Amino acid sequence: MRTYARYFLRRLGQFVFVVFVGINIVFFVTHATPVDPVEQAISSATQFGHSDPRAVEIMRKALRELYGLDGTIAQQYVRFWTRLATGDFGPSLSAFPTPVSVLIRQSLPWTVGLLFTSTLIAWGVGNSLGGLAGYYRKNRLLKAVGIAATGLQPIPSYIMSLVVLILFGYIWPILPISGGFQMNVSPDLSIPFVSSVIMHSILPVLSLVLITIGAWFVGMRSLVSNIVTEDYVVYAELAGVNRRRILTSYIMRNALTPQLTGLALSLGAIFNGAIITEFVFGYPGLGTLLVRGVNSGDYSLVLGIASISIVAVATAVFAIDLLYPLLDPRVKVE
Amino acid sequence: MLRVFRDLFRYNREFAAGTILVLIVLSLVVASFFSPYPPQDSYVVPPDVPPCWAYPLGTNSRGQDVFWQLTVAIRNSLLFGIAVAFLSRIISLVIGLVSGYTGGLVDRVLMSINDTFVVIPLFPILTLFYFMMHDHMSWTLLALAMASLGWPYDARLIRSVALSLRNREFTAQSVFSGMSTRQILLEEHLPYVLPIVFSTTMNNINWSIGLEVTLSVIGFTNIETPTIGTMIYWANQHTAMVAGIWWWVVAPVATVIMTFIGLFLLSVSVNEFIDPRSRLARMGV
Amino acid sequence: MRTLKMLGFVLSSLLLGEHAIAQADFLAGIPRNEVLIAENPEGRITNSTWFNIWVVNHGSNSNGLQQLGLDTLWYIDADAGIDGVWDNSLASEKPTYNTDFTEMTVKLRDGIFWSDGVEFTADDVVYTVETQMKNPSMVWGPAFQASVDTVTAPDKQTVLFKLKRPNSRFHAIFTVRWNAAWIMPKHIFEKQPDPTKFNFNPPVTLGPYTLKSFDPNGEWYIWQRRDDWKRTTLARFGEPGPKYVAYIDPGPPDKRVIMQLNHELDIIHDTTPEGMFTLAKQSPSSHGWFKGFPYAHPDPTLPSVILNNEVEMFKNRDVRWALALLIDMKAVSLASYRGAATISAIGVPPTGLYPKYYFDPLEDWLKNFEIDTGKSKYKPYDPTVAQQIADSLRPSMGDRIPKDPKEIATAFGRGWWKPNPQVATELLERAGFKKEGNRWMKPDGTPFSITLLVEGDQRPVMTRAGTMIAQQWRQFGIDAKAQAYPSDFFPRVASGDFEAAMAWSVETWGGHPDLSFFLDSWHSEFLKPAGERQPPRNWQRYSNPELDKIIEQIRAIGFDDPKGVELGQEYIKLAVKEMPMIPLMSYNVFTVMDTTYWTGFPSAETDPYTDPVPNWANTKYMMVKLKPAQPK
Repeated sequence: MRTYARYFLRRLGQFVFVVFVGINIVFFVTHATPVDPVEQAISSATQFGHSDPRAVEIMRKALRELYGLDGTIAQQYVRFWTRLATGDFGPSLSAFPTPVSVLIRQSLPWTVGLLFTSTLIAWGVGNSLGGLAGYYRKNRLLKAVGIAATGLQPIPSYIMSLVVLILFGYIWPILPISGGFQMNVSPDLSIPFVSSVIMHSILPVLSLVLITIGAWFVGMRSLVSNIVTEDYVVYAELAGVNRRRILTSYIMRNALTPQLTGLALSLGAIFNGAIITEFVFGYPGLGTLLVRGVNSGDYSLVLGIASISIVAVATAVFAIDLLYPLLDPRVKVE
Repeated sequence: MLRVFRDLFRYNREFAAGTILVLIVLSLVVASFFSPYPPQDSYVVPPDVPPCWAYPLGTNSRGQDVFWQLTVAIRNSLLFGIAVAFLSRIISLVIGLVSGYTGGLVDRVLMSINDTFVVIPLFPILTLFYFMMHDHMSWTLLALAMASLGWPYDARLIRSVALSLRNREFTAQSVFSGMSTRQILLEEHLPYVLPIVFSTTMNNINWSIGLEVTLSVIGFTNIETPTIGTMIYWANQHTAMVAGIWWWVVAPVATVIMTFIGLFLLSVSVNEFIDPRSRLARMGV
Repeated sequence: MRTLKMLGFVLSSLLLGEHAIAQADFLAGIPRNEVLIAENPEGRITNSTWFNIWVVNHGSNSNGLQQLGLDTLWYIDADAGIDGVWDNSLASEKPTYNTDFTEMTVKLRDGIFWSDGVEFTADDVVYTVETQMKNPSMVWGPAFQASVDTVTAPDKQTVLFKLKRPNSRFHAIFTVRWNAAWIMPKHIFEKQPDPTKFNFNPPVTLGPYTLKSFDPNGEWYIWQRRDDWKRTTLARFGEPGPKYVAYIDPGPPDKRVIMQLNHELDIIHDTTPEGMFTLAKQSPSSHGWFKGFPYAHPDPTLPSVILNNEVEMFKNRDVRWALALLIDMKAVSLASYRGAATISAIGVPPTGLYPKYYFDPLEDWLKNFEIDTGKSKYKPYDPTVAQQIADSLRPSMGDRIPKDPKEIATAFGRGWWKPNPQVATELLERAGFKKEGNRWMKPDGTPFSITLLVEGDQRPVMTRAGTMIAQQWRQFGIDAKAQAYPSDFFPRVASGDFEAAMAWSVETWGGHPDLSFFLDSWHSEFLKPAGERQPPRNWQRYSNPELDKIIEQIRAIGFDDPKGVELGQEYIKLAVKEMPMIPLMSYNVFTVMDTTYWTGFPSAETDPYTDPVPNWANTKYMMVKLKPAQPK
């Protein structure tokens, strides 16, 4: 137990280090971009309507003061960390003066719900099928499933989402294609709200699952096909152990550990898959929020979202690392 | 060598299928050098013509021959994907093996660096990186950026395999027989790790092409260079799916799927061949 | 295996059962035939609970707030207007200036009430101006600060402005062309300690609708007709037809088409030309502004090739003209709009009533305009370009293409410059450029290369046009390429960090011939040197003493003075000679209206009473003309 406690402390130190460095990197990259939120604000304010050239200078000065963009980068850095201690990321620059944390809090549950559901479904189904395919090599149905799963993988998420949209929103219009829930329903915990949330999430989850299931399938299959050749498996087969028992208890259990690591790490890919899908289905998650933030040079918002994702992923990796030695007895903790 | 290939081709159906698919894709790539139209030009043929004898894959709304566009597109995308996968493979192999095997302080330091790269959200960093570079942005730069961000996932995977390998008996045996660390890593552990490396390489090629498509769809890459991503970008710009110009979208997607399945089948069958026990299992022993 | 089969069965029966529900109940609790669903091109609103439109970078402009909820003194229509181009909205008559344009008096209507029952008075106007002057981070604050000395309300229905310097167009700030300075409710805002931090949720409205409900994620906003709509300015024209109006975020262009085909979206703000053609083919109830080709509404904006006149190579007029003579407008129209473009060779958009004021009178002058290259004389204007475009489309589009020359002129435009590489060569050589082999070199010996900025997929049509133009320059031997900057396009153009860009520096009222809306800002007094940010709209950073004279003369006369049209024509002739930027076409918006649930939309042939583009505040006039299409 003492060794495990020491391991825990060391990993905790690593966790803190990783989060710190990660957030620093994002801070400097966001502040190094040439996109100036003040100029963005001015262009959007003067783009369509009447504008007076004399007025623009006055506006520029006023906005600069308002956004707190005065001060050197060192001062902004210190201000950022002091605010972060209270969980406050400051006001969003593109949606001034709403605090970034409020914007994130609104969108986070949608993204988390979407990704959690689709990742778990893809992971569960993909791994089971992959394990079966790796073990029952000769089964033709599983081979066909394998080809289908690998075939789906390279399809870009935009196309997949659009195809799902056309199939189920237009050709066979049985599911809603827009928004997180039905229009004119108030978001409390009532049956109409909850059921419309579920209905509106079916298509986005479906397209995400279809894209990601292939990777789990393939990974699991190659892991299993490796393990199958191990001595203890051959021994169990010779000893006449029930095949299904071999598959679940002997093989899958060992194959699961790297796949679990993969699961934790794939949470880190939280934005790539989600952004396009959320955009196509008008799903109110973090992905679209992030794109708007980057486009309008709103580095408070980008910093906020990036920091949250860094903490979330680091925590997931940390948790996995703690579970690892408990799951695989061959791994010694030092 | 050649005899091995011939035998594989004849007896292993997966290898045969994979080879054929890859050859088709490669022939497309070779054909790209003979394209009669400059790839960046538009309105060189009548637009929106469905597939027919004159235009085997039809023409798109920009007045380009889809077939010839496709050849150049798959060439560029493949080059890009292979470059990224190759660079990041090297990094992830080195880090994963060394870290998993050596353990201790080296492991911890490397894994800390690894985790830092893992947790950084890719998309905003790439976009912001694009902003910083904008005028000097090129495909090479993008490939370098993606390679330097794409290794941590697989390094960890390799490390986990290396970890369990370290505690195996044959490793202990190799140490006792006096092999150096580098020898052990290269000769004993690498073959175990290679199957995973193959599947991750393909994942990586897929990932880099996918990321390239995402960035292209948003318009962050050089939209004038034909790649799979920019072909879809332009199809999107012309709402091809809704306008019924499905061949414009199906062609690049089908080609990418073909490439991927071909490479996958190849790697699976070669894997099987390399590992003597599975080769024996195939023969029914 | 068995469990899978069971699961499949359960799932399919569930989905089939849901079909009916998904279709009919699009909006919970609101019958479909009582609501008008329009697209908000802003997409998903980040700051969804913010309705204080007066703070820069607030929530949203066009989620219904400016179209249905707010009001101001005057409206100018981009087309013909319900009852003429000019509408006195909150004001009861046109503005009155003193002789030297240093004072403006406004008379207001009475009997207009805010949605919470408080009466609208001159105090609201005074409060609006004074509050924003005190807070320059409010949208119109800087503009007021620059022009207004004092503002007072001599009585409940009169406002008197005393200006800092003569400004014959001061009223423009209160005249809606897309938007204008909206009037704030004094009784609400004066209770707030800091008006810039107040989110005004729910908004108290002056227009005929109030906010019913909205999505905290910013995807939809639903407005409801006020019971006391008779106490708003729109009541002069009748009762607003739709009881509810919803503004939504519809997603990518493909999805908008699908939604309208499903009759879930009544007004598409904009889609691609291909999306438009698909709707025209598949949905008989959908129509655009024109009955046939080109369908789109030509907004009073002029997309052009903006050349940065402060860049060395563009300082010479010969170079600018040479580049114009290398562009084949037919190909650009086909590439960008699939032919559905309304072209213009001159520096005003071919929209609204401008053909009458500017295009017809100048046609002869254009035909006779001549360029002298030193080696030859050339008449570049080809009056038949638009007809050629129409003729080239007829084989594939049949009788959707008009045949009548007058209709062609309205839909497609008139003429453009004839491409002539030989004359372009002569002009470039006179400017000191040399051709070496296949490439052109600048006078200083370096290769002649141009990077043409385009916006990327935010504005696909302009991106396509830019790519085609770069290609045409490239074919001539210039190292030209188009580069997309989806996010910082406008800031880059404003800062002058570009060589050429596909943008617009000309925007006009549309219905009224006055050009000051954009032309005033082209005066050299506003020109910033290279490296500094240029205020809108002189993006091409061009200055010319003759132009300054024209502008100053316009400033000295009244808004409705007929001499304004003459001066406008002088500007056009000067711009043709100098070619500071290369005009291409009007900004055609593919606004598509579905008549399944509502009829009475504006159309070019039958009733051009306003611009149908739903994010324009002027679209409030549509509400009184819309009637339910389906019997109750």
